[in-house]
Amino acid sequence: MSEVIVITSGKGGVGKTTTTANVGTGLAQLDKKVVLIDTDIGLRNLDVVMGLENRIVYNLVDVVEGNCRMKQALIKDKRYPNLSLLPSAQTRDKTAVSPEQMIKLIDELREDFDYILLDCPAGIEQGFKNAIAGADRALVVTTPEVSAIRDADRIIGLLGANDVKNVELIVNRLRMDMVKRGDMMNINDVTDILAIELIGAVPDDEQIVISTNQGEPLVGSDCLAGQAYANICHRLLGEQVPFLDLEVKSSVWNKLKDIFKKN
Amino acid sequence: MPKPVVLKSNKYGINLILDNHMDFEELLKCIMERFKEAESFFKNAKMAISFEGRNLTQEEEFRIVETITDNTNINIICILDNDALKEELIRQKIEHFEEEQAGKTGEFYKGTLRSGQVLDCESSIIILGDINPGAKVISKGNIVVLGALKGNAYAGANGNEQAFVAALQMDPIQVKIGDVIGRSADKVQSTKKRGRKQQILIEPQVAIVKDGNIYIEPITKGLLNNI
Repeated sequence: MSEVIVITSGKGGVGKTTTTANVGTGLAQLDKKVVLIDTDIGLRNLDVVMGLENRIVYNLVDVVEGNCRMKQALIKDKRYPNLSLLPSAQTRDKTAVSPEQMIKLIDELREDFDYILLDCPAGIEQGFKNAIAGADRALVVTTPEVSAIRDADRIIGLLGANDVKNVELIVNRLRMDMVKRGDMMNINDVTDILAIELIGAVPDDEQIVISTNQGEPLVGSDCLAGQAYANICHRLLGEQVPFLDLEVKSSVWNKLKDIFKKN
Repeated sequence: MPKPVVLKSNKYGINLILDNHMDFEELLKCIMERFKEAESFFKNAKMAISFEGRNLTQEEEFRIVETITDNTNINIICILDNDALKEELIRQKIEHFEEEQAGKTGEFYKGTLRSGQVLDCESSIIILGDINPGAKVISKGNIVVLGALKGNAYAGANGNEQAFVAALQMDPIQVKIGDVIGRSADKVQSTKKRGRKQQILIEPQVAIVKDGNIYIEPITKGLLNNI
């Protein structure tokens, strides 16, 4: 029996797909059998971030409509054989699938995998309803910005109304230099408003842009974001991991440079 | 066949429910019989009488009373205008209702209101939790938030400007009491020196209407007495 986790946010562009790719890969690195499902029908991009778009033959809508078997649509990851991807359709839209069909599909997958991660589209309409239909728990991704937090709050309310009880928070794209200056909210401000458990904080990292463009999730690598994602995976498994110190350590030379720049 | 005359006793005396279609003389006979039957039950009772189910002229009413007093030992003190009875009941109901609205009673809601959620309540409401930005509370009475009010609150929704909105942390986007709307100040650029954060004082505050504007003031004993 597997755990079905939906990764949602409400607001677009806060890092759901990146998080799904990295957390999925991280769990696979820890020897779990993981399947990633892209539920963003019409605007799929989980396959791009995973670097698997040239391997797509069938997709989620084909499975739901019975045009192919599940095994034909699932794509094995390049690097980890225990990680699979069920891509979405690019030429249909979100009305092509119903919540009941999603539940049936997920039930089919429960036998074979330890973790099923659902990448939810932005918004609160049909796409969102499809994605949360079969979910046991939710990870809400937000950035420390007012608009993202408003939308995350709405989503948390909707998740509660739809009986998804286990909801945890990931704060993404934190910029500690801005937090220090008081220009950006810090983690405590965010959790004060949203009032749910924090499962991870991921700093803004240039490496992420490089990794998504190249289609290679960076979880587990040396950079701060990679470590943060790895920690999230450990916490998902129930381990207690202390939160990373995200302060940017700048050398004396850089500090001198800053002083001269300001003048 | 339903009885043409039904006797119902109430707090004040008896309510005589009469058949509407029967001929009056016949009805009078039925009344006489009915009361004769019930004579031993009522004995020498002193009571007020009211009529229901049929429009009677004054003369007809008197005749009925005569019939009763002549044929039984019952002492009819007065005739209660049926409307008076109903009026009394209605008055009591309204008083109770107005009490509710005046905020002497209220309901509880436990939990945080999230963005997009609306809580609409007839009576005053006490919320044990926060009201997040984007959430709305509407009440015909008063609103008390035992938490942070960061969303919208609308008290006195039926036009009552005596209502108030109280919160442990008053940080609303909009407050409306009766027909008066107040909104939060547009964000002021806060200058935070590096390392030193401004101490924002959080104290319980209440919003009331004064001179057609919304005033938000810290809760002191004097203020509460004046609401």
